[in-house]
Amino acid sequence: MNTAEQHSLRDPVIEVDGLVACYGSRKILDDVSFDVRSGEIMVIMGGSGSGKSTLLRHMLALNRAVSGSIRVFGLEMGGVSSRELHQLRQRMGVSFQNGALFNSLNVEDNVIFPLREHTVLDDNTMRIMARMKLEVVNMAGFEKLMPAQLSGGMAKRTALARAIVMDPKLLFFDEPSAGLDPVVSADLDELILRLRDAMDVSIVVVTHELDSAFRIADRILVLDKGKVLIIGTVDEVKNSDNERVQNLLNRRSEDVIVDPDEYMQRLTDELIGL
Amino acid sequence: MMRPVIEKVGISAVQAIEEAGYQFSLFAESLYWLIVGPFLQQPVRLRIIVSEMMKIGVLAIPIVILLSFSNGVILALQGIATLKDFDAESQVIPGIAYSVTREFGVLIAAIVVAGRSGSAIAARIGSMQMSQEVDALRVMGIEPVRFLVAPIIVSMLIMMPVLTLFADAAAMIGGGLYTGIVLGLSLTTVLDRSFDVLVLYDVLQGIYKSLVFGLLIALVACSNGFSVTGGAEGLGRATTRSVVMSIAMIVVADMVFTYFLTR
Amino acid sequence: MYPVEENGGYSVVHLTGEVDLNCSPEARKVILECLRRNTPLLIDLSAVTHIDSSGIASLVEGYQVSRTLKLDFGLVGVSERAMSVLRLARLDQVFPIFASIEERLKPDPSQDV
Repeated sequence: MNTAEQHSLRDPVIEVDGLVACYGSRKILDDVSFDVRSGEIMVIMGGSGSGKSTLLRHMLALNRAVSGSIRVFGLEMGGVSSRELHQLRQRMGVSFQNGALFNSLNVEDNVIFPLREHTVLDDNTMRIMARMKLEVVNMAGFEKLMPAQLSGGMAKRTALARAIVMDPKLLFFDEPSAGLDPVVSADLDELILRLRDAMDVSIVVVTHELDSAFRIADRILVLDKGKVLIIGTVDEVKNSDNERVQNLLNRRSEDVIVDPDEYMQRLTDELIGL
Repeated sequence: MMRPVIEKVGISAVQAIEEAGYQFSLFAESLYWLIVGPFLQQPVRLRIIVSEMMKIGVLAIPIVILLSFSNGVILALQGIATLKDFDAESQVIPGIAYSVTREFGVLIAAIVVAGRSGSAIAARIGSMQMSQEVDALRVMGIEPVRFLVAPIIVSMLIMMPVLTLFADAAAMIGGGLYTGIVLGLSLTTVLDRSFDVLVLYDVLQGIYKSLVFGLLIALVACSNGFSVTGGAEGLGRATTRSVVMSIAMIVVADMVFTYFLTR
Repeated sequence: MYPVEENGGYSVVHLTGEVDLNCSPEARKVILECLRRNTPLLIDLSAVTHIDSSGIASLVEGYQVSRTLKLDFGLVGVSERAMSVLRLARLDQVFPIFASIEERLKPDPSQDV
């Protein structure tokens, strides 16, 4: 039995059902449904404008859905009380695209921050916990640096240490490879896999990087213009005969069929004296 | 041709109402966290309040004193020059005493704080908003209003009256020194005569205003910070807007207040 | 309260159940109290169902204190799950880990520090 099959037997951690999200009158997400199961790494892929960032914000309860439902650990995000959400969020960790480290705090204090806010542990315990997580992400020795002094990769690893400092059961990762060179990015993927194995955590990764997605994913969801194009294991996605999926995999931009009248209209719209 | 203009006016009006509503909600939420937070193990942190008080208040004292002192001297100069025509130079003493405590002390303190801290707060929250630090707080289960806004409001409400008293004192000393020199009186004599005419209510007028102005500065700066969009340019725009808006609101609010308080 | 027993000159702390954010302060207290009595320490993790980072951090602190006091320190009965948590931070290479209390107490001069 491969890992994907094992995970399919486990309980869902996130269940998204018929999610619709709009920005103004524009539909960003259209009837998106999927689930993330305990212990699996789910990679959400899509180009820019596919709606993947919006989907992430909805799973984090940062945005409210127009319709449809999102359940995280069985809690309905639409009707969750602030108290429940507060507790839920202590079981989740998020690593944002550029780290989103607190600029006024050094590396160690950034990692300790959630512990200081949510626990009454002894200061020694908190410091050791933070330094252990910095060891995990290979940031040992950089405790006293300020975020402004960190490279992109270091900031991301620090953000990851902060995201896992409370031992979350659910970890979100926004664009782990964006802006990193391939070697650093591969290291980070390795780290994500190690974390999953050691911490028994479910991981949702949002990315546009194919290589990274294939390396770490148990299952992949491909979003296209706000709709789910395909959802399946790495092999299922690779072997899909859907044309758009293959275009995405082979990085072919699609040939757009040009309507001459409409095209000319777009180029010269609102110009005067034509 | 009128339609676009009317449309624009309408849109601006709606936006202004929306913004005022948002500012009110920031205030209401801050109150909620100040009162209920401690029972939910999510208190507004004293440590942050103290550091904000330092930044907003203590560090502003020198500039407030300098400006108020100068303002006091200016009032004396203008007052004596004008009252000379009526042979009533000595009336400059109560004139300064009233106008400083009721009006200029608090106004100068508020404008300094709006310029110094209003912009700094908008810039800080704005850059946190842009770098997703605000989102990071939220997903950690730390309400940004509790963590960022409530401490600013509290320290504004504490430090604005303090700065106002400093400003009152500096302006009266500045005005008193110049008046003393011109009229051949000692500073103590001038100040004694000032305190003879002043009643507590005069000083309180300034203090009441300072509370309102402090709240205005805090809410305008925070709401501008949270609504930053569009990169560095947007951040600059929000910072400027926050200063201009809070100073404008301070002056207009001052007029309304003075109308009611002096009748 | 975690049970502590004396065994062959060692204090043996038996941690039990879930050693998480709620319980690790108690575990830390017990461990540090034992060390204050200047006895070598074994920590028995065999009855632990789950240990999180705060629990591990308490072990780290205990180990460091015993090192400065030059007291012997060891973990016994580390489950595979707990081991993987230790391994993540490479702490498996740091802690003296023994299969059982008996193994540690066995007179074996080569293992003495």
